[in-house]
Amino acid sequence: MNNAIVRATCAVAAAVMLYVSGCSSKDRNAVVVYVSEDQVFSEPVLRDFEKETGIRVKAVYDTEEAKSAGVMNRLLAEKDNPQADVYWAYEPIRAALLSQQGIAAAYQSPSALGIPAHFKNPQGYWTGFSARARVLIVNKSAPDKPTSILAYADPAFKGKAVIANPLFGTTTTEIAALFTLWGDEKAKAFLAGMKRNGVKVATSNGESADFVASGQFTFALVDSDDAANRMVQGKPVEMIYPDQGENEPGCFIVPNAVVLINGGPHPDAGKKLVDYLLSRETERKLAQSDAAQIPLHAGVETPAAVRKIESFKTMQIDYATVARKMQEIQPLLKEWAGL
Amino acid sequence: MMARRSVLIIAVLLLAVIGLAPMVVMFARSITVDGGLSLEFYRNLMASDRPWRLLGNSLTLASLVALLSTLLGVSLGIVLGKTDIPLRRLFTLLFTLPLLIPSYITALSWADVLGGSGLASHFVSAAWIKTASALLFGLPGCVLVLASTFMPVVMLATMIYLRTINPRLEEAARLVSRPSGVLRAITIPLIRPGIVLAATLVFLLALGDFGVPTFLRVDVFPTESFTQFSAFYNFGAATAAAVPLAILTIAVLGGEQLFLRHRTDELRPASGGDDLPRLRLGRGKPLVVIAVAVLCLVIVVIPLIALLVQSGSAGAYIRALHTVGDSLVRSLVLAAVGATALTILGFFVGYLIHTRALAVWRAVDAWTVLLFALPSTVIGIGLIALWNRPATNLIYATPLMILLGYLAQYTALTSRATVAGLALVPASMEEAAAVTGAGWVRRVILIVVPLVRRTLMGGWLIAYIFCLRDTGITMLVYPPGYDTLPVRILTLMANGAPDLIAAASVLMIVATVVPLAILALILGKQRRSR
Amino acid sequence: MTVIEFNSVSKTYQGKVVLEDFTLVVEAGERVVILGPSGCGKTTVLRLLAGFIAPDSGSVSIAGQLVAAEGKIIQPPERRNLGMVFQDMALWPHLTVEGNLEFGLKAQHVVKSERQRRITGMLALVQMDAYRRARPPELSGGQQQRIALARALILQPRVLLMDEALSSLDEELNQHLRKELLLLHGQLGFTLIYVTHDHVEAHDIGTQIVCMRKGRIERIGTASGVMPRGADTLGADAAK
Repeated sequence: MNNAIVRATCAVAAAVMLYVSGCSSKDRNAVVVYVSEDQVFSEPVLRDFEKETGIRVKAVYDTEEAKSAGVMNRLLAEKDNPQADVYWAYEPIRAALLSQQGIAAAYQSPSALGIPAHFKNPQGYWTGFSARARVLIVNKSAPDKPTSILAYADPAFKGKAVIANPLFGTTTTEIAALFTLWGDEKAKAFLAGMKRNGVKVATSNGESADFVASGQFTFALVDSDDAANRMVQGKPVEMIYPDQGENEPGCFIVPNAVVLINGGPHPDAGKKLVDYLLSRETERKLAQSDAAQIPLHAGVETPAAVRKIESFKTMQIDYATVARKMQEIQPLLKEWAGL
Repeated sequence: MMARRSVLIIAVLLLAVIGLAPMVVMFARSITVDGGLSLEFYRNLMASDRPWRLLGNSLTLASLVALLSTLLGVSLGIVLGKTDIPLRRLFTLLFTLPLLIPSYITALSWADVLGGSGLASHFVSAAWIKTASALLFGLPGCVLVLASTFMPVVMLATMIYLRTINPRLEEAARLVSRPSGVLRAITIPLIRPGIVLAATLVFLLALGDFGVPTFLRVDVFPTESFTQFSAFYNFGAATAAAVPLAILTIAVLGGEQLFLRHRTDELRPASGGDDLPRLRLGRGKPLVVIAVAVLCLVIVVIPLIALLVQSGSAGAYIRALHTVGDSLVRSLVLAAVGATALTILGFFVGYLIHTRALAVWRAVDAWTVLLFALPSTVIGIGLIALWNRPATNLIYATPLMILLGYLAQYTALTSRATVAGLALVPASMEEAAAVTGAGWVRRVILIVVPLVRRTLMGGWLIAYIFCLRDTGITMLVYPPGYDTLPVRILTLMANGAPDLIAAASVLMIVATVVPLAILALILGKQRRSR
Repeated sequence: MTVIEFNSVSKTYQGKVVLEDFTLVVEAGERVVILGPSGCGKTTVLRLLAGFIAPDSGSVSIAGQLVAAEGKIIQPPERRNLGMVFQDMALWPHLTVEGNLEFGLKAQHVVKSERQRRITGMLALVQMDAYRRARPPELSGGQQQRIALARALILQPRVLLMDEALSSLDEELNQHLRKELLLLHGQLGFTLIYVTHDHVEAHDIGTQIVCMRKGRIERIGTASGVMPRGADTLGADAAK
């Protein structure tokens, strides 16, 4: 009786250990990817890759909620013994940060040929693809609709605007971009103006979009997918591409970025995945999906709701410069957000 | 004696490797800047008045949550554990539900109720919704969500401790006083140590919670550490920002020790406690039933209904099952294995603390509780720093890392449960076995473990719940492609379809409750058949 | 005057009959010992009297008033004016000796000065004046016993119930306390219901002895009539 129990316990324990340890990343025909693009958008693409190549994709996803703390911190903590082959970042700045830390490998993907030079690192440490536009989501009931991000500092919109915490995500990137575009003085003045105007700080772009959708605020600067998503849900909002006027800087574009990790366990499969992600086909899928992302290859067909990259004015900045600027202004932003 | 010493030393060493080493690594990083010793991170942390303000917020939040949880939990524990209120089991199960669910899901479902276009907007005016929404997204809402999440800890502790009171003590009082008087002057003071323990636990849980305050926009101290991780990727500064939490935890523990030092009562297992007639509520019964039902409706049923409504159709569940099925199975297996490992390690650690067999017992106790209260990000990064080496790849790249994470953070739960259980067993039991010449291993397996079996099972259940709902540690150390359900729900929340997320949350609840219900059924049968 | 009356009381617990057709009348001032082996139902008698449980059938009256009948408790314990000493003393460990004594007085709304007076008097009576501020776990077995007795008597109960109260003490202390109990009984004149399995104790204490077996009364008689040994020696004159 006792022996039977002991034997059964051992069997269960062995089975569990097998299950628990049966998934080493040294799996030959696999690729490990860390993803900070939203899982709802990225997972289908990775599944398709699996189906088409037969390479098993092992992914670690991150969330907007967690501010990609999980994936970035992992990549940094694992620096001396990398576990990932590829990092799919939702914006290029943090990807650029990785190359500065020596975590990225240089790789010029053949798929990247059609992507404008402006959206990729010249050495191939990161390459941009499918982009979000930073747009204004505006409540339809607003009598006056903003057309420029300068509306944040415009007294006419006092108390009516909300922005995601500038310490995180694409909001940091855009503020850093403004610093490189305008110079420190003007950018700081803009931030001070925002504060004077009583701009509400939300935890994320999604939350800002919800605030606007519920009518609590008139407008917010968010990613185009946040706005598109609310429009699909039937919320009373519209999307405005800001700063399209003659003397205005244009709309800030945030492409996804893919990084090949230096010393990852499956370099060949990693390259295949990078090629796949940078392909026109992937860009087409991300444009067609709810992500509604803007393809960077010219001539990729898009649904009506997704504007083509060449059809509007985009902000001309250098992402590497923005990356350096971002680190420089973080303490300032922390203080600003501390309110 | 040799066997006892060696086993306990192994347990301590295991805890040191799993829990202490990663923290030492992290602490070392917090006091080095560019390779040299420096307190710069600490100086920077305290340079502005913001951290102090956040610390104040955190203390306020944790105190309010602990207070409210204790008031509600003790009252409910007494009503459900001691009176003849109908539907006791159902109420107990319902009130326990929020503890089984990751708290961000509760917060989410509240937002589904009180949000701009939430469930409540169909029933009440827009102005009312606006006020309620403003309250939800702030300190009151944060207290509500966290208190409803952690209240069951106090409620269950109260119910368990009530059973440990010698019923004669209450009967002696009944001869001269009405039931209410007995409750006030005898019963509640007798279970005070249990209440204090539970309240401390709730305080620490609320202090360390990060997800709910973030979601409901309350600035709390754990944000400091988190920001260092996620905006600056500065592990040293992030750890420095966790140190005040550690100091606070030690202070709370000290207070608890001070309080419990004065406890003089020896609790004993209720002999024939089952024949204790339940307190009759008498004419007040309908009133009590209504009060309990309303409370249950407000803090449990309404958010649940909101989730159900939000999840909408059967189609959402089929999709959810398809999307998160794998993660669900993994979660259940990992939680069960994790809870078992925690129960075993917790037993030996608890045995050590109870018997004080090694001089380090007090340090071990304090250390486990400290780990329980530390931000999971700090522990997670520490684990990565320690284990991500080519030599340990066989462990690092597997779900074993998640188990190590559970053991690092949650051992306090099972060790403390063991200590509470052992306190009820007279030392003479083990001594009697020793006299017969039985070796230590035999004594522990044949005498001590069976005697504390119920507490161990209780500890296992609590550990299971905490492992199952964990996101903090799992998020950082899960092997690629092997996420758990709470992590997947969290990652799906960004731009995911609300009905899918709600359906996945409901699946999560069902997956938690069903194994527990089956276990409760088996335990109940066992008890009856004995 | 009849103080206690059990009228054909039966009690079943978990499918087992613990008391069957139990009828007993106790007169004021008597010292009744209920004697029997463990599990014979003698403690159930005390618990029925105290009001912790209700009879399944039959009735219980105290001082001519029906207190429980047919599955119902009519008068709750605190209104029955009883004192009880439990087998394990059941002193409240979180209260001092004084607190243990004061609890009942407070519950019965006795004013503070009177409470103090009575506690002082009672502690003197059981010779425990020096231990007023002590906590129960600090006391020896005999001292705890005295405090338990003092606590049971401080409200001047009509009836004192004792459940194997002295059985855990060593023989010498047991004898000593028995004597003291009888002295107190002589001074205060309560009715005593004393449950034991010990023939010597029964013979020493009881004016009337009820022998029980398997939930039924086997015999009732005076100490001399039931016991094999001679008549009791102490306090017989205190009865009636």
